[in-house]
Amino acid sequence: MNKTALNIIRFVVLVLAQVLMVNHIRLGGYVHPYIYVIFIMLLPIHIQDWQLLLLGFLLGLCVDLFTSTPGLHAGATTLMAFCRPALLRLVNGNQKFENIHDPNLEQLGGVWFLRYTFSMVFVHHSALFLLESFSLSLIGQVLLRILISVPVSVFLIMMFLYIFKGERKGESR
Amino acid sequence: MYNLRRFILKHHFTLLFILLEVICVLLLARSQSYHRNRLVNTTNDVVGKIYGWGSDVGEYFRLVKVNRQLAGENAWLREQLAIANDTARVAYDIRHGDTIYKYIPAKVVNSSTNQTNNYIIIDKGSIDGISRDMAVVSSDGVVGVVTDVSRHYATVLGLLHSKSFVGVRFKNNQQLGSLRWNTNDYRYGMVEDIPTHVELKKGDTVLTSSYSLIFPEDLMVGTVEELHSSSTGTLNKARIAFSTDFATLRHVYIIKNLYKLELDSLKANFMKP
Repeated sequence: MNKTALNIIRFVVLVLAQVLMVNHIRLGGYVHPYIYVIFIMLLPIHIQDWQLLLLGFLLGLCVDLFTSTPGLHAGATTLMAFCRPALLRLVNGNQKFENIHDPNLEQLGGVWFLRYTFSMVFVHHSALFLLESFSLSLIGQVLLRILISVPVSVFLIMMFLYIFKGERKGESR
Repeated sequence: MYNLRRFILKHHFTLLFILLEVICVLLLARSQSYHRNRLVNTTNDVVGKIYGWGSDVGEYFRLVKVNRQLAGENAWLREQLAIANDTARVAYDIRHGDTIYKYIPAKVVNSSTNQTNNYIIIDKGSIDGISRDMAVVSSDGVVGVVTDVSRHYATVLGLLHSKSFVGVRFKNNQQLGSLRWNTNDYRYGMVEDIPTHVELKKGDTVLTSSYSLIFPEDLMVGTVEELHSSSTGTLNKARIAFSTDFATLRHVYIIKNLYKLELDSLKANFMKP
């Protein structure tokens, strides 16, 4: 399947999954998992950096439309997109990506992906919860939210990736 | 000029990032005010439609509970009708009839309870006569205020919002207070500015006050959970349990004040400096 089409479908599916399902997960007041960030994580490694930023911004803005919070998710996803090149370098230990065009479980392995997911989600959630409280006065609450939500999101994202791993193989054939 | 271009090309990643973040923070800052900016109307028909599909699916799983709620409300309404029929023969009081308020039923297509600022989206919009600043209630009590309207949908700023502010009154001693939400728990709110001499018991009823230009008087808000005495001895706070269950909210009513224009022109007069 065409790469662009795949990414568009992924974008739509992830935004809808987020706003129609994941946003309704209620486990106490502090658990706020966000899985739509998978879209930015899976973009091609050598994507133009301005494209990366604009796509990040657009993704956040779409989620914002649904949650009536203009700028909140967009701010967090833009920061996450900005940090992605550096985080990729960090996670990969300055090695080059040879023959790897986009991050995928088959070539990079579960442990690599867990580290990658964790660092990306951490950046996103920290920015999101800080922006949401819009002040430093609730810092304790914000930290608690980050501490609890990051592991839940990472877990959901890894589960999501493993579920769709088989299908991706089928497509590339 | 050449240098500027070279600078922009060299640092375009960082510059674009800063530009986008500035846009985000501006949008966010504007959306923080109670009367939200018209530039970005977050209530839009496409979003409403998609939420509508989602809630259509979810609705089947809650039919039993919703039916029970509606039946209870029906019974209450019949009771009211009987009382109204009785009193109508004695005297006709325009304030207690339904004449100045019109109730428009609506369905909740999306709501959240776990954010710092929660919004509710309902399936009635400007073509149904909904406009901003209308009160929204459920059969159990107060829900919130309409802040944004599109053709077929409207956004409601509920009690579960850091900027929500409702004037309330304690039923048994007529004391006034102001209700805010800062408990992070969708079941409880906080009534502030209660004079220290006021005594409250657990279970005391909290109603809307008559000073509000948005909510009709005497709507159910909740019941007192506990009184927090202030350490400085000035004004107390009370934690109250909302009578509306925001987690399972499905059917709401928008209250249209038929004399709103008149009220607004009066308000505009005394708001002038």
